Amino acid sequence: MAILETKNLTKAFGALAAVNDVSLSIAAGGLHSVIGPNGAGKTTLFNLLTGQFAPSAGRIVFDGRDITGTPASRVAHLGLARSFQRTNVFPAFSLLDNVWIAAFARGKSWRGLAWRPSDRYPETGAQARAALADVGLAEKADQAARAISHGEQRQLELAIALAGAPRVLLLDEPAAGLSPEETRKMVALVRALKGRYTIVLIEHKMDVIMSVSDRISVMHFGSLIAEGTPAEIQRDPEVRRAYLGGLAAT
Amino acid sequence: MKHLIVFVLVAVALLLFAVCPVIATEIWIFAIFGLGLNLLLGYTGLLSFGQSTFFGSAAYVAGWLLKHYAINAFFALAIGVAVGAVSAALVGYLCVQRSGLYFIMLTFALNQLFYFIAYQWTSVTGGEDGMPGIPRPALLGIDFTDPLNYYVFIALLFLASLWVMKRIVESPLGKILQAIRENEVRAEAVGYSVPRFKLLAFVIGGAFSGLAGVLYAMLFGIVPLEAIGFVFSGNVVFATLIGGSGSLYGPIIGSIVFIWLSESVSVIWARWPLLLGVAFVIVVLFFRGGVVEAWSRFWSWQSSRPRT
Repeated sequence: MAILETKNLTKAFGALAAVNDVSLSIAAGGLHSVIGPNGAGKTTLFNLLTGQFAPSAGRIVFDGRDITGTPASRVAHLGLARSFQRTNVFPAFSLLDNVWIAAFARGKSWRGLAWRPSDRYPETGAQARAALADVGLAEKADQAARAISHGEQRQLELAIALAGAPRVLLLDEPAAGLSPEETRKMVALVRALKGRYTIVLIEHKMDVIMSVSDRISVMHFGSLIAEGTPAEIQRDPEVRRAYLGGLAAT
Repeated sequence: MKHLIVFVLVAVALLLFAVCPVIATEIWIFAIFGLGLNLLLGYTGLLSFGQSTFFGSAAYVAGWLLKHYAINAFFALAIGVAVGAVSAALVGYLCVQRSGLYFIMLTFALNQLFYFIAYQWTSVTGGEDGMPGIPRPALLGIDFTDPLNYYVFIALLFLASLWVMKRIVESPLGKILQAIRENEVRAEAVGYSVPRFKLLAFVIGGAFSGLAGVLYAMLFGIVPLEAIGFVFSGNVVFATLIGGSGSLYGPIIGSIVFIWLSESVSVIWARWPLLLGVAFVIVVLFFRGGVVEAWSRFWSWQSSRPRT
């Protein structure tokens, strides 16, 4: 059953259709990857799904509900969380505060919003610590986000998305800029999250994609050119043409 | 933080011996004004150059009611807080749609709009002459025309305001506002409507400004036109930056320095703004966290010095 669907989704920036007539269906519980050369429109697709941009045309349906044009802050409350390709954390905050703020946003109630001391929300605190523990940053909870390494910031990026207890997790190149060693850790992490959340993954590293994905969609110049299992995608001639500039197909 | 609370209490008591009661009273009123601004400037990262809009509007409305309808002091304070909050909601609603320089210019432009309304509407505001004859009504049998009584009243209101602001910045709301300051895009993505929270910060800041405005009108018995002017808006920003916008206590220290310079030193030396300018340059160049940062750096230097 599809938990997240797009129907003829289009986003045009002037004459350029960054996302062009994309109809995508994400099955609940699986890991669905979106691949494509740079500039294919993958991140724009995420920006549309999470309400950062409003689409020019088409619809987005999340869990049977039309969320087209819903602003980002509302989308988060529906249970759609994302991580960013460029690290996008709260630099002066401690790691714990970084995830706390995401956990509180999705908390059951905002009672005492402007009055109750923020350390007196035991549930939110526990949820925040659990998210940090999930990505292996529990011991660094009190350090400032700007003081940790790039690899750790990528983990934190993921933890912020997890802290909101999402139903669907959109991961935009979680391994961007990581060393081989850090990449291995990140892949293990994504693998561990698989099954707990429905995951949509954008990634460039093919070995990662092929080993973790249930299904793969391929984008090229804003359009969807192929969809299938990893094995099917590897055989697809159109995909080869997109990646290898036509050489492989001739 | 404990020693800072003690510091504030000691300052409230000692200030009376250092300067005359009127100036001491003005310092705490200005500190309330600064607390409100700093929720925007220090916590939310919004530089509002139009805080006197709320200060002045509250002073005029409450002052007018005090003068013509002889309302009691508590009612006047409530009116001031309400007018401050409502005017801030109006101005904030227009301003939070924009960011950066456009935001700052909008707060400034709307401040000018309110200023010229006050300037032109002479039948109510008195225009350039100000609105004189505002009484200081007695409360619960306490005579507030006595400067010492009024000082104690203001000092208590200031401490209450500080306590309320402390609760606010330590609540989830305080954290959310700081998250917006740190990274608006991420704050929005995790589920906070950034414009709405900015507006909330405006309204709370406006309420504090409004309270300060009424107290100011009652202190001097007049609402001068300057109380709604842009120089006044700038002064509270200056004072807060000198004290340190990164701390809850920064605007308090800034207010002590600023009002003391402008009220005491100005009597001896007419060129006192020069001192203020020098202080400001020093802060911008060396102590971005203002006096609060200078103080904490001094203490860590003291404690790291080897004892001989």
